Amino acid sequence: MKSLKNHISVIIPIFVMLFSFQFSFMLEKVVKKYEDILSNDYSIVVVALSSLDTDKIKKDIKDIKSIEEISTKKILSKLEGDFSKANLALLKATLPKFYSVKLKSFPSSSQMQKLSQRLMNFKKITKVETFSKTHDKLYRLLSVSKTLSKVFAFSVFAVSLLLVLKQMEVWTLEHQERMSVMGLFGAPFWMKSAVLYRLVFIDSMACAFLVATVYYYLLHSSEIVDFIQSIGLVIPEFNYLRDLLILMGISFAISFFSVTIVILRHKRE
Amino acid sequence: MDSVIKAQNLTLSYKDNEPIIKDTSFDIKPRDFVFITGKSGSGKSTLIKSLYGSLAPKEGSLSVCGMRLEGISSSKLNFLRRHLGVVFQDYRLIKEWTVEKNVMLPLLIGGFSKSVCISQAHKLLKHVKLLHKADRYPPELSGGEQQRVAMARALAHNPVVILADEPTGNLDDYSSEVIWDLLKGAREHLGTTVLVVTHKIPLTVSLDSKHFFIEGNRVHEVS
Repeated sequence: MKSLKNHISVIIPIFVMLFSFQFSFMLEKVVKKYEDILSNDYSIVVVALSSLDTDKIKKDIKDIKSIEEISTKKILSKLEGDFSKANLALLKATLPKFYSVKLKSFPSSSQMQKLSQRLMNFKKITKVETFSKTHDKLYRLLSVSKTLSKVFAFSVFAVSLLLVLKQMEVWTLEHQERMSVMGLFGAPFWMKSAVLYRLVFIDSMACAFLVATVYYYLLHSSEIVDFIQSIGLVIPEFNYLRDLLILMGISFAISFFSVTIVILRHKRE
Repeated sequence: MDSVIKAQNLTLSYKDNEPIIKDTSFDIKPRDFVFITGKSGSGKSTLIKSLYGSLAPKEGSLSVCGMRLEGISSSKLNFLRRHLGVVFQDYRLIKEWTVEKNVMLPLLIGGFSKSVCISQAHKLLKHVKLLHKADRYPPELSGGEQQRVAMARALAHNPVVILADEPTGNLDDYSSEVIWDLLKGAREHLGTTVLVVTHKIPLTVSLDSKHFFIEGNRVHEVS
């Protein structure tokens, strides 16, 4: 019973730590996907006096994915009844050229401003419409959610690490007599501490399996999938084996670090 | 090797407290059987502690099996300890391990194969008449039996030196007699050097042995 309690005291903080890490990674992926969608949907409108050399602009500004001319045919055809043919021809000849500019990634406000200025440096361009008000709101929302998830993960990490260290201290005290006896007969450091490393190895592995399995089920649950899709987000790909290995790596690193720190404090008897 | 243990102007103290052993020198040869006596708190256990490297010399020099203990590294100390056998009044057996595994401990540390460890442990347990309790755990044994297991463990790897800190302190006459016989046998049959801290020197062993008496922070050899 005592042993089970000891294991649970390690499993819970490591589980919480891994869960928050995984949550943070997933949120990062969700936000990234959302940014990609936004950058695809989002475009800047450029107004020019005459046709632009789009290849030159793309070459000069690397952030630009594509520049396409917006056809004016549709608008002009709507005016066919109201204007005479001669007036329409005149309008068509004097109408400026409109271009839709798509970007490679979702830009920040400052990036957007710089981009706008660089576009305005081209002589033929008279106006750049960035729809910055809408863009700013979205960008800030995404930035806040990313920062919050990182702060959350870091806070959970700090508290959990303290709990793991505390439990390692308890384990070390429990095993100190055995370690001290082994030391009297010349056992090397690794042999004396092997039992503690074995214990954390088992607990870390159990935690990684638990977290990976919980996420697997969460991301395959129809209720959660429907909810995420209903708010316009895309569920990131969850590769059970790859994510399990990453979680195990993090879990082993944290628990082995904690054991080593605590044992080194009690090293020489 | 001229001396197994050699102390020159040795001073021992815990941190910056008053010295417990001060400016003392002695020399112990191979196969010596040495009794260390003295009043309570005179520094007998402190001296033994320094010999297995748990307390570093404050001043002077101390060498055991040819290895200097001043500023000794952890790896060298582990190497030295693999040539020592230690016995304590409180047995210091690992409670979660069986009697057999406790006896095997020095051999496991020495890197011997499991079959060698088991066979040697059984030989020694037979010698201390506890083979039938090989699968038991220390708390299931009496004090005398636990000390016999501790003796078997101390002898398992044929140590060069046995350091025993009041090995019969908690035992009845019969068990004490068994322990003294084992220590005597180790010296006679294996050529082991034996150092024993005790309050009472048994007559059966006292012939042909050295006697160090600690008084006034110094080790005196009693002739």
